[in-house]
Amino acid sequence: MGYLNNSIVTVDAILTRKGRELLARNDGSFRITQFALADDEIDYTMWDPDNPLGSAYYGQAIDNMPLLEAFPDETQAMKYLLTTLPRGTSKLPIIDVGYQVISLYQGASIAITPQTLNYLGGTQTFESSGYVATIGDVRLMSNFNGVGINTAQATSLNSTATLGASVSKTVVGTTINMTATTVNVLFPTGVDQLTTSLIIVGRDSGARVVIPVQLNKNTNC
Amino acid sequence: MSFKRLDSEDFTFGAALTSAPVWSNFSSSLLSFNKSPIQQVSDSGQYYIDVYNNDPASSPNAKIQFAITYGDVDGSGSLWYNPLNPGSSPTRTVYGQFVNLLLGEDEGASFNFGLNGPQSFFALTINRTHYKQALLPGSLQIRGLAPGGAYITDNSRVTSVVDYTPAGRRFTLGSGSFGDGVMPAGSVNGVHGYLYPDIGIIILNPLAFDPTILNDPINPVWLRDSNINSNNPDRLRQKLTQFSLQNEETITSNYIFCRARNAEFGYSTNPSFTFSFFSSSLNDFIQTPSTYITSVGLYNNNNELLAVAKLSKPLKKDFTSEALIRVKLDF
Repeated sequence: MGYLNNSIVTVDAILTRKGRELLARNDGSFRITQFALADDEIDYTMWDPDNPLGSAYYGQAIDNMPLLEAFPDETQAMKYLLTTLPRGTSKLPIIDVGYQVISLYQGASIAITPQTLNYLGGTQTFESSGYVATIGDVRLMSNFNGVGINTAQATSLNSTATLGASVSKTVVGTTINMTATTVNVLFPTGVDQLTTSLIIVGRDSGARVVIPVQLNKNTNC
Repeated sequence: MSFKRLDSEDFTFGAALTSAPVWSNFSSSLLSFNKSPIQQVSDSGQYYIDVYNNDPASSPNAKIQFAITYGDVDGSGSLWYNPLNPGSSPTRTVYGQFVNLLLGEDEGASFNFGLNGPQSFFALTINRTHYKQALLPGSLQIRGLAPGGAYITDNSRVTSVVDYTPAGRRFTLGSGSFGDGVMPAGSVNGVHGYLYPDIGIIILNPLAFDPTILNDPINPVWLRDSNINSNNPDRLRQKLTQFSLQNEETITSNYIFCRARNAEFGYSTNPSFTFSFFSSSLNDFIQTPSTYITSVGLYNNNNELLAVAKLSKPLKKDFTSEALIRVKLDF
């Protein structure tokens, strides 16, 4: 007779940069209410259904791989969320925003309306809870907000201002409005283009897309 | 759905007491007691002397470990501020400062260590950077001052009653080791002093010192001449030979239980998962998908990532298994 494994996994969490910012803000926004799971670092192509040792060894190359420590940058952690879908789902939801790269000149605006493909059997392309959009460096945008989700939480989030530092900003909406900053001092001498990333996550599906954002200097100013 | 709401019963709190050596480089004992002559002759040197672990004049690794000060109710042992105001001196200022700090509003309170003799004391104030919350009672040992080469230590392990004062807990100092301090039978000069662990201060009674250092004809440890700077703190520094002390800190942790039921988190947005999913050779992924958990993210209502935890190795999850992950978040 052997012992059953009754252990639970215990892990130490670290605060992200955003977590520290909200903790310092002391306005109640640092309140953990939900969790998500992710499989960052996993390469599923290593799953080997032809392993001669049988099905218990299909994941041999993944099971014992070492993992890196957590990153405090919230834009670099939790990249690939696990998602709950009906068993037997044959198509995974993906987000389409219509752009491979967003390139803006100073002062220019753009509105992005993400769509989720393959979601709920393809009967719906917009997620009813909207999308979470995170811009990696908020300094590059003079305006970054979401519209279309009118909950108090989303309204509060969309109206929060973060000034000065190179931190991310997160908004919620069905449409994301962005206006590039006109501040010239962000550009180091001899540099005419700044880059950051826009991360969009479906609040219902968990699907995620990362789009590079380029801010081009108006050199004729 | 990728985000799962946490219920109130998923949260619990815990507190754990941790301890560590007080001194720089995690040294359990301080064996070298150095001063800065520059600090000693400065304005602050009239009140206290900083003690370094190495000679600050020659070692870049020298750091202040604690300070020694001397208080005297008569203002003895230092120069008067004004000859027209006898007794008003730095040592009298220090005496009033510590009465206010340690004895509080008790009118007429004084440091007499159970005696009616001269009211004066030495105080060792531990540098704030060396303890996060409090000193650890039972870890104190000072050598070089007590008769017979004995250690001075507190009585935290032999007393059943803890004194609570305006300055927090107070333990009495006696001879012994690691918290079993008692005064030898027949002691007539009062206790060795007091440990105030919550504010990092040790008060020493000079009358209880070893008579051989007290009455050293060349370099006595304690002088009470009026209107003369006796440099008593530096005299005490020279007599110390060993000083052991630890700090204590209560770390409060949040424990958050993240539960993944069998039908949850069965699919992934990982690009390689998608690739495998649509690969004809891996068709079993559609029938029996398996995911691997490597990270747990904690979010607020706005889906902002507040904290993140990584597992030491991937945890397999499929439709026939459930996962319970306890996430510890320290503040």
